[in-house]
Amino acid sequence: MNAASAISTVELSRNKAEAGRAVRIAVKDLNFYYGSFHGLKGIDLDFHDRQVTALIGPSGCGKSTLLRCFNRIYSLYPEQRAEGQILLDGKNILDSSVDLNELRSRVGMVFQKPTPFPMSIYDNVAFGLRLYERLPRSELDGRVEEALRKAALWDEVKDKLKQPGTGLSGGQQQRLCIARTVAQGPEVILFDEPTSALDPISTGRIEELIEQLRDEFTIAIVTHNMQQAARISQFTAFMYLGELIEFGPTERMFMNPTQRRTQDYITGRFG
Amino acid sequence: MPALTQSIALSEPRAAARKGPSRGLDATFRTISFGAALLVLLVLAGILGSIIYGGWPAFREFGFGFLTSSAWNIGTEQYGALVAVIGTVASALLALLIGVPVSLGIAVFLTQLCPGWARKPVAMTIELLAAVPSIIYGMWGLFVFAPLFARFVQIPVSNLVEGMPVIGTILYARVPSGVGVFTAGIILAIMIVPFIASIARDMLDQIPTVLRESAYGIGCTTWEVVRHVLVPQAAVSIIGAIMLGLGRALGETMAVTFVIGNANRLSASIFDPSSTIASRIANEFNEADGMQLNALMALGCILFVITFIVLIIARLLTRRVRAA
Repeated sequence: MNAASAISTVELSRNKAEAGRAVRIAVKDLNFYYGSFHGLKGIDLDFHDRQVTALIGPSGCGKSTLLRCFNRIYSLYPEQRAEGQILLDGKNILDSSVDLNELRSRVGMVFQKPTPFPMSIYDNVAFGLRLYERLPRSELDGRVEEALRKAALWDEVKDKLKQPGTGLSGGQQQRLCIARTVAQGPEVILFDEPTSALDPISTGRIEELIEQLRDEFTIAIVTHNMQQAARISQFTAFMYLGELIEFGPTERMFMNPTQRRTQDYITGRFG
Repeated sequence: MPALTQSIALSEPRAAARKGPSRGLDATFRTISFGAALLVLLVLAGILGSIIYGGWPAFREFGFGFLTSSAWNIGTEQYGALVAVIGTVASALLALLIGVPVSLGIAVFLTQLCPGWARKPVAMTIELLAAVPSIIYGMWGLFVFAPLFARFVQIPVSNLVEGMPVIGTILYARVPSGVGVFTAGIILAIMIVPFIASIARDMLDQIPTVLRESAYGIGCTTWEVVRHVLVPQAAVSIIGAIMLGLGRALGETMAVTFVIGNANRLSASIFDPSSTIASRIANEFNEADGMQLNALMALGCILFVITFIVLIIARLLTRRVRAA
């Protein structure tokens, strides 16, 4: 059985990998430990500039763990540690001299569930900006509007910027979180199952948005949804039990996987 | 399938014969639980009614002047509530001023910064602090804390600020005995910290991890995460906890009676002795009769009103925060 039967070829052909894009993030021999548990085993992987890379694999395979290395959010927990190299524009971000706050302004993250902060819609976006720059009010207004437009949320919230962000619907909240991330002008945006808590319509909008954001940002997305990976990514990495099994252009990965396990997972034979 | 329908039809009478509380028992149960609820209302109304009744002669005698007069003269039977009201409010506010930042500090430390192994012992200690009887705080405050406070704080500070405008009045102790409004505030703060800290800790613990991670994820420092995201997220409950602490501080009797100095004197200095409503009542109820007893009852009414106002303010604040 051909792997492609599970995924429509139309969806795949929309998102051909663009050859010749520079490597933005290079992961070299990355090992990750939760205490004594070896969560990631010798990962080598390149993320290309302004392309969407999907990380797929069954639960517990380490795809979220890998994502959490790129902004070092794991370092909030003292028992977790990473070894190896992650080169962002050639500089190893696992180096202890890296300024974490600066790193996180360059590598934004959107989580499984929408996480609006307990403040107004406007402040949710402006908050991240105010952390780094002191901007005059008019410029701040402009940057907030720009970010909300990029997150395809502006038209829905422009008349209620002073209302609390928690009053929005789930899908709107998630776009607000994307706007908050985009506002900081990051180079990379990490999405950790961004649509797993959303209804199909909101999911569709987030997917469209990710496609648009690709023009500007390098994107890594963890997803459990095979169709989603096929629809929006140019590259796909399949992980299993902490190892990278296969990586390549999404089209090839879904049409023509070289590894037996990749094919089994994509066609739904295990998961 | 005929067999199936038959068996369903057969089982019907059995369902009706189900064993369980009979109608009569259910009604009794309902009456008892209603009675329990009613009892609370009756007790509250009874207490309120009897102190209003007891205080009424004093209110009639002194009118509105009872609130604005600072007299408390048993010989001439002149009574006013001003000193005790100010003492009550001032000592409780000082307690909040000292206790709230400490409580939040404890809660934030325990939930965000504390290494895992130290969390349990520190939390246990704080909860033990809540279990200390107030008389112990009173004794310790009077015999241990007050002399030290006089020697190492009141006297040096008084010497330092003497003659200065405003703070030369507020922080000047005429008789540096160690007891006074500020001492009462400190002791009260120690007493309310465990309450506020443990509620605030529970609330901070309940905040989902992803919210915390996403705040760190946009590059916040720990302080920014706590200040702008976690504390506002738990604001409603934290305000509730603070109001609970304030209620306790307003009504606390034994510890305050020991350390406030029990003077009926209006003073602008927080180092000077004063009285609170509760300490005044505790000091005098034993020998009071006639108008003095009525005046004490009237003081009780006022304390009731003050705590009621605190409750209303708490409600308004939490509603405003929730709306924001």
